[in-house]
Amino acid sequence: MFYLRYLRSELLRRRLRTALTVAGLAVGVALVIVISGLSRGLDRAQKTALNPLSGIGTDLTVTRGVQQDTSGFGGPGGGGGFGDVIRSNQSVLTDLSKLGKPGSHFVHDFFLPGTQLTFPASQGAAVDSLNGVAASAQGLLLIAEHQEGVVPKIVANFKTGGQTYQIRRNISPLTAAERAAFQQCLEKNGATFGQQPQSQQSAPQGQNGFGGGGGGGGTTRRGGRGFFGGAFQQCLPARLRQFRGSFTTPQQTLKQVLDPPQTNIKTTPYTIGGVDQTQPDIGLVTRAQVTKGSYFTSGGKQALIATTYAAKEKLSVGSKLTLNGTTFDVVGLVSPPLGGQTADVYLPLKQLQTLAGQKNAANVILVRADKGSDVKQVKAEITSKLQGAQVATAQDVADRVSGSLVSAANLSHNLGLVLEIVAALAAFLLAALLTLSSVGKRVRELGTLKAIGWTQRLVVRQIVGEAAAQGVLGAVIGVIVGVVVAVLVGAFGPTLTADSSNGSATSLLGSAAVRTAHETLKLKAPLSIGVVLLGLLIALAGGLLAGAAGGLRAARLRPAEAMRRVE
Amino acid sequence: MSEPLFELRGVSRFFRRGESIVRAVDGVDLTIAAGEFVALEGPSGSGKSTLLQLLGTLDRPDEGEILFEGRPLHTLGDGELAELRLNAFGFVFQQFNLIPTLTAVENVEAALAPHGVRGDALRDRARTLLAEVGLAERETHVPVHLSGGEQQRVAIARALANEPRVILADEPTGNLDSKTGADVIELLAGLAQAHGTTIVVATHDASLAARAPRRVAMRDGRFAEQPVPA
Repeated sequence: MFYLRYLRSELLRRRLRTALTVAGLAVGVALVIVISGLSRGLDRAQKTALNPLSGIGTDLTVTRGVQQDTSGFGGPGGGGGFGDVIRSNQSVLTDLSKLGKPGSHFVHDFFLPGTQLTFPASQGAAVDSLNGVAASAQGLLLIAEHQEGVVPKIVANFKTGGQTYQIRRNISPLTAAERAAFQQCLEKNGATFGQQPQSQQSAPQGQNGFGGGGGGGGTTRRGGRGFFGGAFQQCLPARLRQFRGSFTTPQQTLKQVLDPPQTNIKTTPYTIGGVDQTQPDIGLVTRAQVTKGSYFTSGGKQALIATTYAAKEKLSVGSKLTLNGTTFDVVGLVSPPLGGQTADVYLPLKQLQTLAGQKNAANVILVRADKGSDVKQVKAEITSKLQGAQVATAQDVADRVSGSLVSAANLSHNLGLVLEIVAALAAFLLAALLTLSSVGKRVRELGTLKAIGWTQRLVVRQIVGEAAAQGVLGAVIGVIVGVVVAVLVGAFGPTLTADSSNGSATSLLGSAAVRTAHETLKLKAPLSIGVVLLGLLIALAGGLLAGAAGGLRAARLRPAEAMRRVE
Repeated sequence: MSEPLFELRGVSRFFRRGESIVRAVDGVDLTIAAGEFVALEGPSGSGKSTLLQLLGTLDRPDEGEILFEGRPLHTLGDGELAELRLNAFGFVFQQFNLIPTLTAVENVEAALAPHGVRGDALRDRARTLLAEVGLAERETHVPVHLSGGEQQRVAIARALANEPRVILADEPTGNLDSKTGADVIELLAGLAQAHGTTIVVATHDASLAARAPRRVAMRDGRFAEQPVPA
């Protein structure tokens, strides 16, 4: 058909103009698709991260936080005050002697509830029986401290001895009897003891007996000092031959400052959750959240690991995880939604209770209401029934999430639509302007066509046909470019993060462990047929409208006037 | 004298050029009979081209009326005028006015297509016309690859495509050398004779005008002298 051949010739023989028009349209369409895709991607990511409870079929989470209230939730002995926090977390005040012999290597995991206090399992049953509660599951979320190192030795060195003591003491003089016996003994041994009764009397105590004896002179039959010395020694009373006495040393206090024990204990905090595995569709982690491997199967020591933690700790399905001597098999990796009650490691509830010494205790109840509209009513009921209970709805949880994802999503909410409209308008205007410019340069040609008998309608039809062809071409290329860019964004796009914190606790050796869930989501730009069609439509509409307008304007000119126009 | 094909009564066409008004055609009376070969002579700006456009319904007069085959043209709408151009008139322009993206044969087809001629019939008819003007060998060339004379031949073939009752040629040799111009004139004259087509040529070329049995001289939008009937 001639008109189609004419159209084809116009597009092919005016390559530059066609390429420019088509490229302009393609850019516009691609922009619309990419921006719209990014906006949707952010929305989707936000929904994934910010709407965690609805994502797992949970409407409410019930916890028991720290408060001044001294009665109610928590059962006997559980007031929920700060005292409870300290009691609950006492296990972490380590008695180092319990870790093992000094110098030996130890590995231990401490489990503590942090500020999310535990309560008896019976409380969970009370929630389950409330009106409007479709299902509920209990969980135990603990902050865990993995500690590893050498039990420290504490050694103090003391050095004693080497001191000199001086003592002075008066010795009683010889009694009369002793003196007589002494004399007799001396005489018997051939030594005389001077008769000096006066001197005895005058200096009964003033003279040393030895001196008196030795220096007294007198006569000695045999003479010689050896003899005298031997007799003297022999004849002394026993009390003077050997001195005996006792003394008390002065009291002393030894004081030494001991250096703290050297230790290489390493502390790695993580979070651990006890899952009621009998309810795989509601709970801290559900069957639907398993990304690799499987959910808990009955029996056995099994563990599920959050994907982010698994990547950090290089764990995978089939890995072994040893906690205080108990080995658990990692059976699956899970990706629980952010903002909810999340943990790094999940164990069956009973096993965690045993491991943490928290028999029959839980600290979170996940509740699903019968209907969405019941959520508020159920929340009120739980709050009144369990005093001190903190009930969070899906919205409350979503509000706790922060991070680049939230900013990006908010940005996309505020800016996405504007950008989309701007891109669409740009695409439309670009298409219109390029087409108008193209038509404007052909006024003389169109005048000629009219001169040789073409009607106005035929001229407009031809121009619109060309615009439509360019529009389709531009739109198709634009869609391809847009899709490719969207796919590239998916492959190499930025990673968005979202964080959510649930309480905090200061734990062993001062390291602070906050129960923080961190989620990274890859930004994707998902496409929909709607968006692609929208892009196509915008480009086509722009081209067609501009073609029709430009064509009509040119075709309405009198041929003479049109032909006067200089190209 | 045969039936008048054109009847012009007090026809004027003005153009505004800044503050002043140019009377390109100023109260012209003219009658052209069917089968006439008329040359409108005059220097540049004398109004001959404007008068030709008024005859060919490419423009409308500001004053006076033009009757074509007895029908007052001012009463016709744009659609009817287009139909008239399609069926009754063939145009040849000084600048050839070929569609630059179409080949020689396609340019001729452009004038045939609105008649509803399609497919092989369209191509065959266009080829025949090109052959008539001696361009059978050049049918697949686009205008930019054709010489001035060849382009004008294509334009003549296009003007003949609808077997018009009138051929209106505006300076058809203006962009051609004298030999080629003469050839083109020969071609037009021969066709007029063969088909009984009325030909009105606007030209400032005296030698071309001399070929016409009837010459009308124009100056400042008016006839320089009383038109001489053929």
